[in-house]
Amino acid sequence: MSFLTINNLSLAFGEVNVLKELSLSIEEGELVTLLGPSGCGKSTLLRSIAGLVDPDNGSIVIDDKEVISMNPKDREVGMVFQSYALFPNLTVEDNIAFGLRMKKLNKTEIEKKVKSMIDLVGLNGKERSYPRELSGGQQQRAALARALVVEPKVLLLDEPLSALDAQIRARLQNQIRDIQQKLGITMVFVTHDQEEAMAISDRIFLMNNGEIAQSGSPVEIYTRPNSEFVARFMGHYNVLHADELQQIVGFDAGFQGSLFGIRPEAFTETNIHGDGIEVTGEVQKVSLLGNVVRYQLKTGTQHFSAEHLHRSQEYTKSGDVKTLYLSKEDVIPLT
Amino acid sequence: MKENMRTHKIIVTITFLYLFIPLLATFLYSLSTTWNKTILPEGLTLKWFVDLYNDPRFIDALWRTIQLTGGTMIVSILIMVPAIFAITVYAPKYEKWLQTIVLFPYAMPGVVAAVGLLSIYSKSGIPMVIVLAGSYFVLILPFMYQGVRNSLRTVNAKTLVEAAELLGASRSTAFWKVIVPNITPGIMVSSLLSFSVLFGEFVLANILVGGSFETIQIYLYRRLRESGHLSSAIVVSYFLLLLVLSWIMVRFSRRGTLKLKKKEPIV
Repeated sequence: MSFLTINNLSLAFGEVNVLKELSLSIEEGELVTLLGPSGCGKSTLLRSIAGLVDPDNGSIVIDDKEVISMNPKDREVGMVFQSYALFPNLTVEDNIAFGLRMKKLNKTEIEKKVKSMIDLVGLNGKERSYPRELSGGQQQRAALARALVVEPKVLLLDEPLSALDAQIRARLQNQIRDIQQKLGITMVFVTHDQEEAMAISDRIFLMNNGEIAQSGSPVEIYTRPNSEFVARFMGHYNVLHADELQQIVGFDAGFQGSLFGIRPEAFTETNIHGDGIEVTGEVQKVSLLGNVVRYQLKTGTQHFSAEHLHRSQEYTKSGDVKTLYLSKEDVIPLT
Repeated sequence: MKENMRTHKIIVTITFLYLFIPLLATFLYSLSTTWNKTILPEGLTLKWFVDLYNDPRFIDALWRTIQLTGGTMIVSILIMVPAIFAITVYAPKYEKWLQTIVLFPYAMPGVVAAVGLLSIYSKSGIPMVIVLAGSYFVLILPFMYQGVRNSLRTVNAKTLVEAAELLGASRSTAFWKVIVPNITPGIMVSSLLSFSVLFGEFVLANILVGGSFETIQIYLYRRLRESGHLSSAIVVSYFLLLLVLSWIMVRFSRRGTLKLKKKEPIV
């Protein structure tokens, strides 16, 4: 039995169907990501779970309890907002204690819980600071502590790291994942960043136009996209029609289907397993993207891209004719 | 660049003089014995201020004005703050109605409003002071609405309420514990602004209650004909009071913006 089950959830704002009979289920202690481009309905889905928007139809069951008609405060879910939403008039300590005070816990217990939360998120020394005196990363950790301290059944995170710069973001991703594993809490994380989703999730629900386009582990979604949308969203996939693919791999490859995706790093310079398809192309452009080098190649009239890790000596330059190898199973049929 | 700065300084100085000289002259006039044929007053005296502050009618008028405006303010805060909060956070689609309503005071000239109110309410048995307070309530709607709504937007009230509700707070707890403390500076600024507007209001007060409930403006108008020195003393006192109010207002609003502008420390 799943811990959080959503069934046929629909919601329309005026003429726009934001959620279309959406169903999903999440296990206890899982960290799942709702991933998708802006406007795909991922935040609305999250806010429906929290009770901040009222869906038109469908059901939401958390821990065997139907919560669809409950007030947000009775659902036992926590939420971390993109804008942190810390209470500006309260110190870090009082912000974290807010939920416990609402539950009317006694003073010593509140103090103990707040203290252990501050230790957990690493805000020692900032107990008496006001939110405005903290950096963005610290504010988000305080917001995380405030949501966790009341021990919600599910913690919802609405693009919690989007307002932070890359380094702090990476550090907080790890911290959130660590805390989630340590407490064994169920988390639903909303993001539009596929790298962030792959880095922290047990499972990803990739959404598009109010529906789930594909769900699965990060590896499944990345290596086995089932549609053009997923392939394009998850990486720099080469998306090719059957005739375009034929130009690149030759006429005898025998692939079934009309549309295919090939990850750029699936092209290798050596024939590793011995069964690779030989692909020859003229290098149009070489670009260095940090730790990855990307080539634009051309076979006949067809362009495609290939990538490999950066190395200290780069031999390939524009105008070279290069032979690469491609495994058959890396040519993925798409719908 | 330097040329430019000089031009700016000259413009600012001229503007400042233009605004300040009448005030200075009024101030001097209120302190002078006589000032008819000379450039500067012939003698200085505090007689007019002593006269003024010893006139029980002045103190009474001041007290009445404070009661009237203060009472109206309190009622306005108690009604408008929750109303604006409820509409911006829970029912934003009705906000356009509120926006229209708060513009009513601008749609009607004071004299027209006063005459209309007088003909409707004079026979109704409702004391005209209450009618006056009611019309003051309407008069300050724009100030209250703008100030309160802006503070609610600045603190991102909707998200704060959502956060509080998810932490187990009821809507009213969320309002009192989270929203009110954070918009207090904004409420103070709107209130002081409204207070100074009402303090200087003459048209409605004169037509609706006139001599039966003499406010400070009606008193000033009456004494104007008696002695220029005395009315100057009233104007100076009035100005000083508003100066203090404005200073408090600036303090409050600066406290609000400092919070936002403060530089973020490094992690």
